[in-house]
Amino acid sequence: MKKFLAAVLLVSVLFVSSAAMAAEKLTVYTSMKDSLIGALKDEFLKKNPGIEFDAYVAGAGKLMAKIAAEREAGKLVVDVLWHSEVPDFYQLKKEGVLQPYKSPNAKYVESPVKEPEGYFTPVRNGTLGIVYNTRLIKKAPKSWKEVLGADYKGAFGIADPALSGTAYGSVAGLAKLYGWKFFEDIQKNGGILGKGSGQVIDDTAMGDLVACIGVDYITMSKIKKGATLAMAYPKETIVLPSPVAIMKGTPNLGAAKKFVDFLLSKEGQQIIANNYTLPVRSDVVLPKDSPLPKPHAAVVNAIKLDFKSMSGAPKEETIKKFKDIMRPGK
Amino acid sequence: MISGKKFGMAEFIFLIAVLILVVIVALPVILIFWTSFIVDGHINIQAVVNTLMQEDTFRALKMSIMIAACVTVTCTFVGTLFAWLVTRTDLPFKETMKVLFTVPFMLPAFIGALAWKILLSPRAGYINQLWMGITGFNHALFNVYGFWGIVVIETMYLFPFVFIQVSGALEHMDPTLEESARISGAGLFTITRKITIPLIMPAVVAGALLVCLYSLSHFGTPAILGTEVGIYTIPTMIYELIHQSAGSFVAIRSATVLSVVLVISAGIILYAQNKVIKSGRFQIIAGKSVRPTVLKLRGLRMPIFIFCCIYLFITVIMPTVTIFLVGLLKTYGLPLALENMTWENFRYVLFEWKLTKDAIWNSAYLSISAAFVTMIAGGIISYVLVKMNVRGKWFLEFLGMLPFSIPGTVIALGVILTWSGRFGVNIYNTAWIIFVAYIARYMAFSLKSNSAALEQVHDSLVEAARASGATPWQSLKDVVIPLIRPGMVAAFFLIFLPALRELTTSVLLYGPTTRTIGVAIYTLNEDGETVYACALAGVALLLIVGGEILIKRFFEKKRHVDNGGA
Repeated sequence: MKKFLAAVLLVSVLFVSSAAMAAEKLTVYTSMKDSLIGALKDEFLKKNPGIEFDAYVAGAGKLMAKIAAEREAGKLVVDVLWHSEVPDFYQLKKEGVLQPYKSPNAKYVESPVKEPEGYFTPVRNGTLGIVYNTRLIKKAPKSWKEVLGADYKGAFGIADPALSGTAYGSVAGLAKLYGWKFFEDIQKNGGILGKGSGQVIDDTAMGDLVACIGVDYITMSKIKKGATLAMAYPKETIVLPSPVAIMKGTPNLGAAKKFVDFLLSKEGQQIIANNYTLPVRSDVVLPKDSPLPKPHAAVVNAIKLDFKSMSGAPKEETIKKFKDIMRPGK
Repeated sequence: MISGKKFGMAEFIFLIAVLILVVIVALPVILIFWTSFIVDGHINIQAVVNTLMQEDTFRALKMSIMIAACVTVTCTFVGTLFAWLVTRTDLPFKETMKVLFTVPFMLPAFIGALAWKILLSPRAGYINQLWMGITGFNHALFNVYGFWGIVVIETMYLFPFVFIQVSGALEHMDPTLEESARISGAGLFTITRKITIPLIMPAVVAGALLVCLYSLSHFGTPAILGTEVGIYTIPTMIYELIHQSAGSFVAIRSATVLSVVLVISAGIILYAQNKVIKSGRFQIIAGKSVRPTVLKLRGLRMPIFIFCCIYLFITVIMPTVTIFLVGLLKTYGLPLALENMTWENFRYVLFEWKLTKDAIWNSAYLSISAAFVTMIAGGIISYVLVKMNVRGKWFLEFLGMLPFSIPGTVIALGVILTWSGRFGVNIYNTAWIIFVAYIARYMAFSLKSNSAALEQVHDSLVEAARASGATPWQSLKDVVIPLIRPGMVAAFFLIFLPALRELTTSVLLYGPTTRTIGVAIYTLNEDGETVYACALAGVALLLIVGGEILIKRFFEKKRHVDNGGA
């Protein structure tokens, strides 16, 4: 009993002391999956060994909910925010909670989104294409309309735009390109409203879906591990920049700036490219086996979106409209 | 001891007990009621009704009740059937089977749901694929997503509630009652209808109500198998409200209103259960050493035995094996063949990935420290409840009842309201908030175990110590505590094991670095990291089963020593 009590006490004390530990800390909230943020973190810590680095990985919707709750409670945990829902960044800028920072590396950035005041800076141009299971679909689709065909009946998935920033961007883009009728037709063909952006890809790999609208690097990391997936890019490309921003009032401003600089540096961008998503700098080399469009072509062919007017009420409207179409019974 | 002369020991202990219960348990519940009923400083019942009548909340409410009702019925049937088979028939290996039927209890239901999603998702679930391959149909054998999927999976993992209660009742039932009926010429059917069923009814109902209570407040299964197809229950709806509406006040209020519904339903269920248990007092007549008559299954003996084995194989072995095999896959979707297997995922979640390493560590220290603190606090409170005569004890008794009737979701919401700055303490997003929530959630276990132990310590022992000149503290330390130690240790483990695999509460409270094992498995599944989710679930299963076995052995050895000493 004595030993047991002592052991329990020891653990409790450890718990208390570990909570009280302090160092130069950096907490990044990001929607980038571990395959990407993990690689970046390792390299960053190699260069800055003194920093304690925490990444909270979740969909953009959850991140924003978390930040809203933290603001409500008056205590921000997040130092740096990096996800793929550009409208959110305009919204946060408007609400005055972002810390402007013009990184010396910002001048190299090429992206559909420009933010000259430096409240946020795109660090990657995410692309979305049609991800399909090569066991189930033999012919690579060439246009978005092909998903309305019989091959895709009952098994074409789109992630939930309320959960995922990239899903929201794709829905907005495709609705702009083809009108809402496109989604009505997808629904008629048995299209499925999925959950997170990663889950629709996993479901496609498993064969629960034959294809989905999928994010470049998430798909590629699964292909690298042997998943029977492939990515096809219709000419009208969905390009969704992922900006990074520093939160105003962060006690870790120095570390935050270092991290932003690193993301925009040539090394950081090379890691991004090596993980099969488009870098924002043109002076890095893309891997040879990448199915992605070239950075310049992608930006030229991108479905043009007015990110500034996509947050708040328009976003809620889009999501509601989309969900009503995809789940008419509900 | 700290207490001075004017402020006696009794008052001091009483005060601590009240303080713990009020701050940790009562305050969160009060705030939930306050937030839902008070709008702009006035009681507003209309607003509560309006929230409940909103399309989304009303649908969730209806769904929760329907699922709980169906699960209760199926669990009662399955649990009673198996209980009868292992106690009153000549089923082979009865004792082993009795232990095996409680094994589904050890498997966390959400891990079961994850496994069944992999086996029975409509197009690609391994079983459905096999079925479609063999029969050539292009329809799934069973689509696990949706209402019936949730009911079936919850039944698989909740029926032991009924099984344990009913098999206990059947074993302790006085067989002479049935004997005399038989001698008087009643047939088996009449005996069953007129004697057996009325006698075990209280146990059946008690078990059924436990199932109902658990199912109503259970998060994992409906979250994994329901939200995908647009089915929400009260706990999953609260989760959506908290996580996706940016924590706006309207969302929080809706969540608190739903919580109030949960608390009230739980209260009603527990009240009913108390009634039933009281009414069932007559059943236990000391029918010592008289073995109940055993029904000969004759030709059905082997077929029924095989049926039981298949049932256990399907509910326990298949999902466990699935979890481990998928955890070994290089990536989700590859065929389950040896060349696609690797230890990499297990290595990664155990030694490399911060998210999963954090989760294991968080769950470990949170469950140990919460179990420890709750054990002590529960001991103090039980001491007041059982042994002391202080004015205002009824208040404490009432407070002591509270933890029994608060579902995990409600506690989580309550601690968010209490500990995110309203009273000057803001521990939102830290491990502390989960710690506080666990204490509130598991206080009931500690109270039960500690009071039971304390009731057996006769007052005369303390009086003797005091008469021999011991201070109150000395008599407590040297007489009472050593005597109730087994009860306290039991409380510790009763809390430690469920806390280790907890999901319902922590899923509402986790922050960037404070995921628990349950939360990590759940979010990995949601994020489409299925193989990592399975690898971590495999690790969790090993921890849980290992823990259960260790504790069983510990207690058996203990009992052995005790018996030997006596």
